[in-house]
Amino acid sequence: MSHRHLFLQSGFIKTNLQNGVGRFVNQLQRINLIFCKSSGSSKGVREFIETDLVDFARANPGTVVYLKPRRHRGTYMCAEYLNGHKDYITCNNFTRDEVRKWLEYMKNKSGFPIIRLRKHWHTDHPSIQGIWNPFTHKPSYLNVTTFPEKERSEYQPLMPSATEQLLQIAEQVGFLDNSNTNNTTTTTRNTENIPPPLNMSDEK
Amino acid sequence: MVFLSFVNCMRVKGPDKFWKRRQILKLAAHFYGRKRNCYSIAIRSVQKALQHAAYGRKVKKLERINLWKERITAACEELNIPYPLLMENLARCDIALSKKTLADLAIWEPRTFKCLTQIAAAKNQSYPPTVKAALQPPPEGVITRGML
Amino acid sequence: MNRPISTYKRVQQWAVFGRLWFLFDAKWQNPFDSAEKIAKYLAGKHKPIYHPLSDVGDHVVVINTKDIALPNKEWRYRMYYHHTGFAGGSSWTSAWELHNKDQTKVLWKAVYKACGGSLLRHNMMERLHLFPDDKIPQELMENISDHMKQLRPVPKALHEYTEEEIKNFPKVFEWPEDYVLN
Repeated sequence: MSHRHLFLQSGFIKTNLQNGVGRFVNQLQRINLIFCKSSGSSKGVREFIETDLVDFARANPGTVVYLKPRRHRGTYMCAEYLNGHKDYITCNNFTRDEVRKWLEYMKNKSGFPIIRLRKHWHTDHPSIQGIWNPFTHKPSYLNVTTFPEKERSEYQPLMPSATEQLLQIAEQVGFLDNSNTNNTTTTTRNTENIPPPLNMSDEK
Repeated sequence: MVFLSFVNCMRVKGPDKFWKRRQILKLAAHFYGRKRNCYSIAIRSVQKALQHAAYGRKVKKLERINLWKERITAACEELNIPYPLLMENLARCDIALSKKTLADLAIWEPRTFKCLTQIAAAKNQSYPPTVKAALQPPPEGVITRGML
Repeated sequence: MNRPISTYKRVQQWAVFGRLWFLFDAKWQNPFDSAEKIAKYLAGKHKPIYHPLSDVGDHVVVINTKDIALPNKEWRYRMYYHHTGFAGGSSWTSAWELHNKDQTKVLWKAVYKACGGSLLRHNMMERLHLFPDDKIPQELMENISDHMKQLRPVPKALHEYTEEEIKNFPKVFEWPEDYVLN
């Protein structure tokens, strides 16, 4: 048999946080007083009903009070809140004062159960700029591309490769502007096109 | 013959025993089997459970920091900046945001996080640590006005 | 009490936790390095909303697994062990033999190892789709939304250069006409 329900529950705040900001609405919806007409343990509850109950009911017009006389049963009060949560308190051998005080306690509670709070703050609007989604930082042209796309998939090196560096140097010096034959040096037997000696400081 | 002083020889156990045992059994209320009802068996399980709780309190903090670090790394990689670069340069700029705040910003305020990465990249640019870093183009959209 | 969420919030939830499909070209890539990156995407570690308990991993479709490049002498000397369960059923297969039999297996095993030893591994492997060549079923093709960046540059072979490019490439010297190149 599982006793896991006895382990301390945890949760996030779900109370009606804006309750007192405008109008205050008492969160107690109805309160049931279950007692026995004859047993000794319900004496305090019976006394309370005879004396203070009507005052309590008049003071809280938004709360419905139910009385449930049940023979040979324990005495307890069950409070139901606007969010649907139910709370029970056993009233065996309570005095009239104790019943009154515990009733006040039930009335003043919000419907949120007493659990360990994982976060002591709550907001309905955690994000101003919009929550991250997988497409936040992705470029919008991806919506219209067909895959596989080479540019998107390619490795982007941080440094230019040796080939690229050579091409850059060639461009600076002016190799690429002249035709291929002019760039040959005198290792060939072809003596017609002997270019002048290379001067790297020449800029075009 | 009535022995009146014999009663004094009986050893009386202290009144605390019930309450001490009740304290232990209350901690064991959600255990399985005799471990929740029988004191001498419950005490062993409860002591172990408390040891686990003490150890777990430390581990919880470490695991949380690790998760924040993983989240920030993920957000950084999306924005093409390595995590150590971001952290070092934010520290150099005196932006003392914790890992928790950075992770929360990365999820709930992604544009702010992007700006932070750009600030870190700009700071990195101002004194590049390697030749490789010096060759990178400066980050877009960052106006430092000489303040970095 | 659990209230139903509004339409806007529901769409926001779908947007944040939506599962993406990534395409990865394994041509000329080291399978062991790529496996680490792929496992990272399968686990969801590329997302700032990552948590090990929430299933935020994405799908990864890998193409051209037949063109993976193992470093050094791995093709010859990396051995894969298998036991059928029956007596005398143990076998050691080298990487090139395994690649000949099934061209996706080397990368599959690499990703399987990179996923770690947790129980989530099989779940992650279900989201991995390997294809030896370019051909992907149309249903998977429609899902793909982005590329995973490659980890190594793909070298350009000489036959891939056009004649014009070869002609116009700057030369420091020209071989003599009757010189024989081996």
